[in-house]
Amino acid sequence: MKTRLSLATLALVSSLVLAACGTGGGTGANPEATSTGGGSNAATTEEIVIGSTNEPTSFERNIGGSSGISETTTRNVYEGLTSIDESGQVINTLAKDIAISDDGLTYTFTLQDGVKFHDGTALTSKDVKWAISQAIAPESKSARKSDLAVIQKIDTPDDATVVLTLGHKAASLPFFLASVTVVKDGDKTNTAENGTGPYKLAEYKQGDHLTLVKNDDYWGEPAKNPGVTFQFYNDETAMNNAMRTGALDIVLQEETPDQLMQFQDDPQFKVTEGNSIKKWLWTFNNKVAPFDDVKVRQGLYTAINRDAILNAVWGDYGTVIGSMPPVSEPWYDASYAEIHAYNPTKAKELLDEAGVKDLSFGIKYVAEPTQEIIVQQLKSDLAAVGVTLNLTPIDDSAWYEGVYTNKDYETTLMDHNNPRDVLWYANPDFYWQYDNKKVQELKVKSDEANSTEEQTKYIHELSGIIAEEAPSAWLFQAPQIRVSRAEISGFSADKNAEPFYVANIVRSN
Amino acid sequence: MGRFIAVRVASLIVSLFVASVLIFAVLRLLPGGPAGSLLGVGTTAEQLEQLREELGMNQSLVAQYGDWIGGLFSGSTTSFVSGMPVNELIASKLPVTIPLSLAAFVVSVLVSVPLGVIAGVYRNSAIGVGVSALSQLGLAVPVFWVGVVLVWVFSLQAGILPSGGFPRQGWNDFGGAVSALVLPVITIAIAMSSIMVRYVRSATLDVLDADYIRTARSIGFSRGGALARHGLRNGAVPVVAILGIELATSLLGAVVVENVFALPGLGSELLSAVTSRDFPVIQNLVLFLTAVVLVMNFAVDLIQRAIDPRLRLVSASAGGGAL
Repeated sequence: MKTRLSLATLALVSSLVLAACGTGGGTGANPEATSTGGGSNAATTEEIVIGSTNEPTSFERNIGGSSGISETTTRNVYEGLTSIDESGQVINTLAKDIAISDDGLTYTFTLQDGVKFHDGTALTSKDVKWAISQAIAPESKSARKSDLAVIQKIDTPDDATVVLTLGHKAASLPFFLASVTVVKDGDKTNTAENGTGPYKLAEYKQGDHLTLVKNDDYWGEPAKNPGVTFQFYNDETAMNNAMRTGALDIVLQEETPDQLMQFQDDPQFKVTEGNSIKKWLWTFNNKVAPFDDVKVRQGLYTAINRDAILNAVWGDYGTVIGSMPPVSEPWYDASYAEIHAYNPTKAKELLDEAGVKDLSFGIKYVAEPTQEIIVQQLKSDLAAVGVTLNLTPIDDSAWYEGVYTNKDYETTLMDHNNPRDVLWYANPDFYWQYDNKKVQELKVKSDEANSTEEQTKYIHELSGIIAEEAPSAWLFQAPQIRVSRAEISGFSADKNAEPFYVANIVRSN
Repeated sequence: MGRFIAVRVASLIVSLFVASVLIFAVLRLLPGGPAGSLLGVGTTAEQLEQLREELGMNQSLVAQYGDWIGGLFSGSTTSFVSGMPVNELIASKLPVTIPLSLAAFVVSVLVSVPLGVIAGVYRNSAIGVGVSALSQLGLAVPVFWVGVVLVWVFSLQAGILPSGGFPRQGWNDFGGAVSALVLPVITIAIAMSSIMVRYVRSATLDVLDADYIRTARSIGFSRGGALARHGLRNGAVPVVAILGIELATSLLGAVVVENVFALPGLGSELLSAVTSRDFPVIQNLVLFLTAVVLVMNFAVDLIQRAIDPRLRLVSASAGGGAL
């Protein structure tokens, strides 16, 4: 026994030693092996490598908003009847033509000719019907379910035509349909076979990367590069290091300005600043006293120095906002930011008028660096008007359950990234519990509008009412900062929609 | 010996059971569940409830625990988030984490054993004091900080090693895989060697002062000869105990370091699973790590008994009391 064990130990130790020698030898001899990321060789035939911290969670369809999957695959691999383009406009995609009946209740979609799924099967109206019916099905857990609930009936008179019958007028229907990508009739997950887009899904390694290759059989304008890999990171510094060492071509989004200095003065890199749809909100629980009093909310909002907060978080980047819509939406109004402009004296007056004294309440927030900066500023701004803010750091999951679902909070800090989410102020059950009949009426009117101008007018008015009543204290819109290698072009600096469209990206020599 | 092994195996099973209950319970006590973070903002309370039902989160805790343990044996447990089988997911991360922690362990043994002996034998000279001071420094510096500095020097400035990531082809790109692991291995090894040098040094000191070394010297052995003939084996007993713990530490060190170097291993997976409350993945992963540590301790006991016959005598007379 003794001998055997000793021999085993010896064998183990010597194999470990050999392994270690192998490790040491391999590295010294082969420094070229650093080009593991694949993106380091600049050549036009090379794929484009994109770094992102927003990994898709699941390829299963109709679960939540799944921003990671829309960012990487919508428009690129999977397409809807419509899409939101880089400028935020609705464009036809799988629909060649959309005819709307005079009463606005019937939408007839004619499909593009010659569309094929990636396995070669032809797209028909049945596939479209399947995709839409699944998004609105009772068991759907899609974040767009309520936006699409207006669809009462889906007909397919022939293979190239889909007819939707609505319960009431819905001017935003083409917009919301962009989030419903079409897969083959009966499919419940996104696969390598069931997309129709300019790229096919080639490889996904969970926790690491997603590779797309050009679809040579694409029905529309073909992709300008041979393929794209999204490389995913938990840690932003690790992502920026990869960019610095040539393993990446593009960083989709920088989270802090501190990381930018290393790229700004280097001609190898380009830093772009665009608009995002990410809004930072300090939100009140409007059903809970004293936040049910509009004067209290206005007083608290007026006590906040938003310019200082934006500066602390983003330096010279970003935009201070005074209502929910971001700069890119047609109903954005810069003057709303002035309504409750920073004024501690006025803030005290408003709080006095409301009759609140020695106000003290809590804020639940996700404990991350940006949030920590913001809550510290909020706390000191509020202290200046005699209000105590008690900080309760939590994590993402606890936020969804405690704040979003159970509405167990007084105030909270969160970033919101959904297009047109200003309309959520018309939902009294939403987590901020803001119940204003006029706002709800305007939402209905905007749905039933006969033109986009009319729709814009109503949502603009709605945004003005909430700007005045301050159910939330909108702080700022984050900038969209991307970094790319200097020879890379063809992508949008803005993020006005969820997808990051990659088909126009090229590498020049 | 047979009885000793039987008792140890039984205790291993009991420990794993207790660990599984603890892991399960702690996750249930955490605020926030998987359903909320899967759905995100924009969905309704009804949709959330439906998802909880589908994930089996509405069953009794006993039933949920039973499902988990059943799934462990059948391998049928799937991730809440990605829907992938959890065991497959864990297996796909091993080619990064196992070589990383084993290499870190081996490097730290190769560095710390000679250094520790030197520090012990020359304890009163500059070299001994210098080694001790270095190990103090290595202990004081946080692991991730060492990683950040190494990346700055060897990747960003010198450009000779990748700053992070692992080749997409895995070990098929052998050179790429090896160079991807060099800095992470050094990072973990620095922290581990700093601890181990101190153990080896004090084990050496104990041995140096022992009677049998003095006796060996008196019958004509040189100092090196006495140490090699009698000292190594005696000194190895406490060191092997530490090695077991260190191998476990190297696994845990990998968890931290993988995030700094963006390595797609168990550590990165654990971090994202905790963030999204992917219960099946966290449970299987933590239980797996626990099992590795327990098995390692078991192996250490066996090795110690092989080295030191006295241990066998003690446990035989105490009826397996060495537990």
